[in-house]
Amino acid sequence: MKQEGLKYFTDLHLTSIGLMIFFVFFICVLVWVFRKNSKYFYNEMQNMPLKDQEFTDARQ
Amino acid sequence: MIWAAAAFLFGVVAAIQIPWWPANLNLEWITFGRLRPLHTNAAIFAFGGNAIFAGIYHSSQRLLKARMFSDLLSRMHFWGWQLIIVAAAITLPLGYSQAKEYAELEWPIDIAIAVVWVIFAVNFFMTIHRRREKHLYVALWFYISTIITVAVLHIVNSIEIPVSFMKSFPVYAGIQDAMVQWWYGHNAVAFFLTTPFLGLMYYYVPKAANRPVYSYRLSIVHFWSLVFIYIWAGPHHLLYTSMPEWAQTLGMIFSVMLWAPSWGGMINGLLTLKGSWNLLRTQPLLKFFVAALTFYGMATFEGPLLSIKSVSALGHYTDWIIGHVHAGTLGWNGFLTFGILYYMIPRLWKTELYSNKLLENHFWMGLLGVIMYYVSMVVAGITQGLMWRAVNKDGTLVYPDFIETVVRIIPLYWVRALGGMLFLIGFLLMCYNIYMTIKLAPKQVKEEAVEVTRTGYNEVPGTGHRKLEGMGFVFSVLAFLAIAVGSFIEIYPTLSLHKYITPTNVTEPYTALEIAGRSIYQKEGCYVCHSQQIRPIVSEVLRYGNASTIEESMWDHPFQWGSKRTGPDLARVGKKYPNLWHFSHMMDPRTVTPASIMPNYPWLADKDTDFLRLRKELSVLRRLGVPYDDDTVVNADGIAQKQAKEIAADIEANGGPKGMEKKEIIALIAYLQALGQKGKAQ
Repeated sequence: MKQEGLKYFTDLHLTSIGLMIFFVFFICVLVWVFRKNSKYFYNEMQNMPLKDQEFTDARQ
Repeated sequence: MIWAAAAFLFGVVAAIQIPWWPANLNLEWITFGRLRPLHTNAAIFAFGGNAIFAGIYHSSQRLLKARMFSDLLSRMHFWGWQLIIVAAAITLPLGYSQAKEYAELEWPIDIAIAVVWVIFAVNFFMTIHRRREKHLYVALWFYISTIITVAVLHIVNSIEIPVSFMKSFPVYAGIQDAMVQWWYGHNAVAFFLTTPFLGLMYYYVPKAANRPVYSYRLSIVHFWSLVFIYIWAGPHHLLYTSMPEWAQTLGMIFSVMLWAPSWGGMINGLLTLKGSWNLLRTQPLLKFFVAALTFYGMATFEGPLLSIKSVSALGHYTDWIIGHVHAGTLGWNGFLTFGILYYMIPRLWKTELYSNKLLENHFWMGLLGVIMYYVSMVVAGITQGLMWRAVNKDGTLVYPDFIETVVRIIPLYWVRALGGMLFLIGFLLMCYNIYMTIKLAPKQVKEEAVEVTRTGYNEVPGTGHRKLEGMGFVFSVLAFLAIAVGSFIEIYPTLSLHKYITPTNVTEPYTALEIAGRSIYQKEGCYVCHSQQIRPIVSEVLRYGNASTIEESMWDHPFQWGSKRTGPDLARVGKKYPNLWHFSHMMDPRTVTPASIMPNYPWLADKDTDFLRLRKELSVLRRLGVPYDDDTVVNADGIAQKQAKEIAADIEANGGPKGMEKKEIIALIAYLQALGQKGKAQ
């Protein structure tokens, strides 16, 4: 079964592309998240659920 | 208007309580095959669905500082979804089923689901569009990815061609269907039971503990990795099947990789409570969140473990998987939902919870229930798995009779039932508690409109980050791309099925009567307890015969490989027993296997087979590529009746009852006798 599966599988370019996309994507995410000057911004963001103002109705 | 929203949310909450599952407790119920799909659908889509809608509607309005886009759409979404649940509750017990796990609902309901989901999506995205808060908090990301991915999964998996109002054939067959189905099935867990609940966790845990999430950076990294990796892991449900080896390995590797982002979420949630553990005394509802996160951590640790091929070889098809699933749904989804409800209800009704003591009792009973359930099922699963594979020194099976392995674990099924019962009682305590809370709430509280200014537009300098995360549309497209890449690479190769099939082994299709029998097999939910897939493992080949091949199931719309063995595998059952044996077995399994726990199916000998529909069915199948010639399609009913007569005559000649040729049981026997007889290795 293993031999058969591998024998018929010729789409190696697909998996290679997958790997490349993955690698590049995660490096980008990490660079993005840990870039300089972002600390202030994240502190703002993480407090969002705790902001006192509740929502209101725009149509009132 | 705020009252309207509150009333709407109350409706959702009430709806959560209606479809609670009692079926769970009755393993040996008469029609387990039909009730089990009802149970899974109710748990995932009715309970889970309504819980996430309630949470999403409540938290999104607060995070976006804007009211939902349209009350009409909200109502349509709510009532549409409840109607779908009612439709499922009616059709599944009646036996209208596509026989694909968690996607059993027939095509008219599938279309309704798609429509209602689009209504929800429009309502949600328009609210984002009109928000007064520039930033999209991380919880909203999870909601966005949920809405997009569930739509993609549902539509792709549900492509089917109708035969009649309540019968259809999926366009996929054999390994294609298996692959698409588990891409869907696995990601229903991922994007219906994981991402929306993680989003809720990111709002309600900080809210309840009144401190910000532990690390916002971690939440970004774990969001993207989770969304990106989860979609690839579906093939771990098909390890050791006839699916190509490379796809199995891919599924296993991605499943193991998932461990990291899953635990990222758990750690982030638990560490949010760092320094506020004393709150557990004053805010007992936090216990639910802590337990939920712990169960999430355990279940997501066990998941990758079970995806490792050697562990899967032991655990797959056993109750271990059932235990694993319930640790996730009862422990993670259940407890998180309860925590949210205990948080949300008193605030919406501007009152205090009726009784904290009842809450405590609910928590401990529920916890004990889940633990009993989980432990008993893992022990049962491992016991059965080990018994299946036990081989003597002379190369024979230690337990050749399948029934021996079933009887051994019956006491554990009772422990499981007790655990489930405890969980249910705890839940009822909550219903009472919430009912009293609402009843005692002050009736005439004046609603004060809160003035909200547009925020987040000027206070923070326009860095690159806020530009990206402020753009709802661009973000949605990125999330879609993340899941699309994985989906495409996972599914594409199986869509080119022909690559894996040796031309000399091409299988003969089922006869018309066998197709009719196959429909009955699906209708009764036989796939729930019986697999049709012999794995290339020594003990299985010894027990059942040669391992299954791709060719055998190449015309199977849908595939019927199964995912649990309460009874033995049926892939080679054809021609193993005489027709009369099958007849007696369906009427009363105890006559052929004294200790059997399978229910009786007496109605199969009363109901008539629908021969007239066969022409239409065969012509649809031919359109899907099954090689039937014109004669077979045009004369389908006649050919089927002829074959039915032969089988009925054989049963009669061996001392069985007379006049059975039109009955459903004959068609079912024809199908069972055909299993493993097509596409034998040449």
